[in-house]
Amino acid sequence: METFLQQLVNGLTVGSIYALIALGYTMVYGILKLINFAHGDLAVLGAFIGLTVITGLAGAGGAPANWIVIVAFVLAVLVVAIAGVLLEFTAYRPLRHAHRLSAVVSALGASMFIENGIMLIWSPQTLTFPEGIMPETTFHYGSVVISATQLFIVAISFVLMLALYLYVNKTRFGTAIRASAIDQDAARLMGINVNKVIVSVFVLGPALGAIGGLFIGVYYRQAVFDMGWIYGLNAFIAAIIGGIGNIPGAMIGGLLLGLFSSLAGGYISSTWQQAIVFGLLILILLVRPTGILGERVAEKV
Amino acid sequence: MLKAKLLIAAAAFSFGVAANAAADTVTFGVQAPITGQYANEGQGIEKAVRLLAKQLNADGGLLGKTVEVVACDDEGKATQAALCGRELSNKGVFTVIGSYTSGATAASQPIFARANILQTSDGTAEQLTQHGYKLFFRNAPPNSAEAKFTGEYLVKAKQYKRIAIIADHSSFAKGLGEAVTEAVKAEGGNIVYNGFINAGSQDYRSVLTSIKSENPDVIYFSGYYSDGGLIRAQQEALGIKADFVGGDANQNVKFGELAGKAAEGAVIINVPAPENLPYPEAKSFLSDYNAAYGENPPSIFTLTNADGMRAIVKAVQETKSFEPSDVADYLHSLRDFPGFTGPLGFDDNGERLGSAFQAFEIQADGSYKTTYPAN
Amino acid sequence: MNTTTLRRAGGILWVVGLMVPLAASNNWISILSIFAIYAVVALSQDVVLGRAGMYDMGHAVYFGIGAYTTAVLNTQFGVPILWTMPIAVVVSAAFGIILSAPIVKLRGDYLLVATIGFNEIFRMAMVNNVGGITGGPDGIFGIGVPSLFGYPIMSQGGMYLINWVLLGVVLVLMNNLDKSRLGRVFRYLKEDELAATTLGVNARYYKILAFALGAGIAGAAGTLFASQLATVSPSAFIFMESVTLFAIVIVGGQASIPGVLLGTVLMFVVPQVFRELAEYRYLVFGLAMIVVMVLRPQGIWPRRSRPE
Repeated sequence: METFLQQLVNGLTVGSIYALIALGYTMVYGILKLINFAHGDLAVLGAFIGLTVITGLAGAGGAPANWIVIVAFVLAVLVVAIAGVLLEFTAYRPLRHAHRLSAVVSALGASMFIENGIMLIWSPQTLTFPEGIMPETTFHYGSVVISATQLFIVAISFVLMLALYLYVNKTRFGTAIRASAIDQDAARLMGINVNKVIVSVFVLGPALGAIGGLFIGVYYRQAVFDMGWIYGLNAFIAAIIGGIGNIPGAMIGGLLLGLFSSLAGGYISSTWQQAIVFGLLILILLVRPTGILGERVAEKV
Repeated sequence: MLKAKLLIAAAAFSFGVAANAAADTVTFGVQAPITGQYANEGQGIEKAVRLLAKQLNADGGLLGKTVEVVACDDEGKATQAALCGRELSNKGVFTVIGSYTSGATAASQPIFARANILQTSDGTAEQLTQHGYKLFFRNAPPNSAEAKFTGEYLVKAKQYKRIAIIADHSSFAKGLGEAVTEAVKAEGGNIVYNGFINAGSQDYRSVLTSIKSENPDVIYFSGYYSDGGLIRAQQEALGIKADFVGGDANQNVKFGELAGKAAEGAVIINVPAPENLPYPEAKSFLSDYNAAYGENPPSIFTLTNADGMRAIVKAVQETKSFEPSDVADYLHSLRDFPGFTGPLGFDDNGERLGSAFQAFEIQADGSYKTTYPAN
Repeated sequence: MNTTTLRRAGGILWVVGLMVPLAASNNWISILSIFAIYAVVALSQDVVLGRAGMYDMGHAVYFGIGAYTTAVLNTQFGVPILWTMPIAVVVSAAFGIILSAPIVKLRGDYLLVATIGFNEIFRMAMVNNVGGITGGPDGIFGIGVPSLFGYPIMSQGGMYLINWVLLGVVLVLMNNLDKSRLGRVFRYLKEDELAATTLGVNARYYKILAFALGAGIAGAAGTLFASQLATVSPSAFIFMESVTLFAIVIVGGQASIPGVLLGTVLMFVVPQVFRELAEYRYLVFGLAMIVVMVLRPQGIWPRRSRPE
């Protein structure tokens, strides 16, 4: 039982990171019907920028001060959000009315570009994060161990997701985002500036992704330039599990995926963990392709 | 990846002709993971070979010929390694130093054997010396020797009662893990967990949580430092009290960085670390290396590969021949050559003779302290 | 240039290609050898993606299954390389049918995601040494060379000719597919599945057939790949390989034979011309993919609307 609870704790932590990154996929897909393959790499970019800020301001060795950590997160979010908007303008906007596969290849090219840009700037080697970025206190319940870092990651993720949910559902601009996802032309006729909506999605998604990426670095204490695709893929699977295009779905999908993957690794096979996750994905696509919460938008063929 | 292969093919085309143009040069090839997961090991090997070549040339070269070095990056991957095999053969190298991983070495072995090229590698998987390749020389001691020592250490010296063993699927780590399992059983030890991780997957909490429920008093990991450091850190984070013992591939400065505070107290089993080598040749080479590159070699394998190259150079000088079979005959009967990593020789299969394993514990300041055998 | 002239020009180029071993250096021969193999795989990817219009982003799986089939048969059972080719084709095609049968009903991006899943599962299966025959992450080494009439073909030139012949056969096959009823059915399915179904086309059957055909051809290329490199390992058949194949077709031009060949050439010529870029190569490569798509969304050499 305690082993099971420990797996739940581990799964919930990873799951909330997946959820943060999944939101970026799902918002872009909801409006543009485009799988933004570069999104995972944007998240990793956040991790590297955060690391640079932390080591730059705190110096090597010793735990960085709280204000440094906050500055790191803020700068990571800003830079990655700008990168997201640049990506939209250069790689996606010119292809908005082209065959959709052209945009897919453009996205793949962008992913390769960002990934290798990171490699060139920060080296191809695995970089390590200093210890003590978040409090290292641990709490013991029987043999179950929960670290303060895990609590922080889960709590901050929940707050951010709740904020996004409220923004999208309770504000005027949020309504515009939802309307554009349902029918761009109709939204335009209603006087919604769809281009502005799309830009906002490329600010919000990468911003949350950057936080997710930085969480990965803080949690595992390492970052490597090419880890974007596997985290991106997992986050994308999370978005599909929840129903792609659906914002609460991405949150639930991320958490479920984290839990499922953790339990599969613990109870079925740690070496087949990722394969089992893909098996689940294919099963969901076959049985309920619209995901758990259903897709709000009919798929454009 | 496709593009990388093409690049290698293209590079082979551009340099192939130049390398052998002058008859008064002899070309040494380096096949190593210069980029990718094991990049710092691969770069260390290349640096050591270039330094030795420079020193040879300063002394008038090898039998009067200038030593040139060409390197090929196998990224630690088998397919790249096969392409490196082709590329270096096309460039007409006399001998190849490398590669670092057993898998990449095994992939290029048949190609060099067919092309009549001497090869020396630190790859410790047993199979490397079992194919009957007469021109292949292993410069690090094999898994079986390490496993025997590890079995003794875990069961006899430390008297562990509940042993957990983790490996990854690479031919090196899997082979070492299996050999250690056998050795522990042979010593009458009790294995409570035996499993695999996916190298590079970052999150080992699932498997560690399962291990925790078995309540082990030691976790042994046979894989590489990039995973070992994280396993040690996550073990600590999950409050698993067991000791950590790592196989030789955990010995790398990155292990300590990744494990952080948890590195202290972790034990690694290997031949002595570069800094701890007692031999005068080793000390002077280390200071030369430091002067040339401003850093220490990343691990002992930089030096075992340097030893492989030095043994070949020695054989050429003694036989006064660049004929691979003459050189190989000499090496097969070589005994007690003063290597950087201890007295060195090779048996008829090209297996390294002579080398003493140690268990050393990582200290708070990151240095190693030999704990077994006590001397 | 009309289609007939184009076809003739292609034929002449192919014959010229046969002379390459007489004139070129070993290194050019190995470059062209690998070009021929990847051109075949790219053409097979085009059957599924460009012709039948299914977003298959896991095509490296079938290439890999062919290569592994040859590797296992040759190293474990001593089957001669060329004899393993028909078996590799059948095994790959069978996997094409088995894997595609449940998923061809998925539309667009959902199919794409499912095929990415297959690619990852395949890679993991090879890494985890399924059945103890795939050799784990390091793969299988020591694969032999083909032999003809009892003579082993050791030279690079000989290997190249075999690859070039396979490319020729596949080009003829593709050319015939263009003109055949099957090719037209694929085209209808791609352009308007609903209309095709109303006309009595069994969509599911033909979609699975497209996968079987594409997988089988990729399997044949896999045989030659395994023999060419003397080794197979999971890293040669990862998701990034599938992405590259996918991009070759879209960048070159869907359902266009010259487009696909050009796309494959670009993967060779570009890195060669810019080889001094070294570690910048993938950065430039990614950028080039974006630029080509923005400037020519239909691909560099798109298929004409009326090919006949």
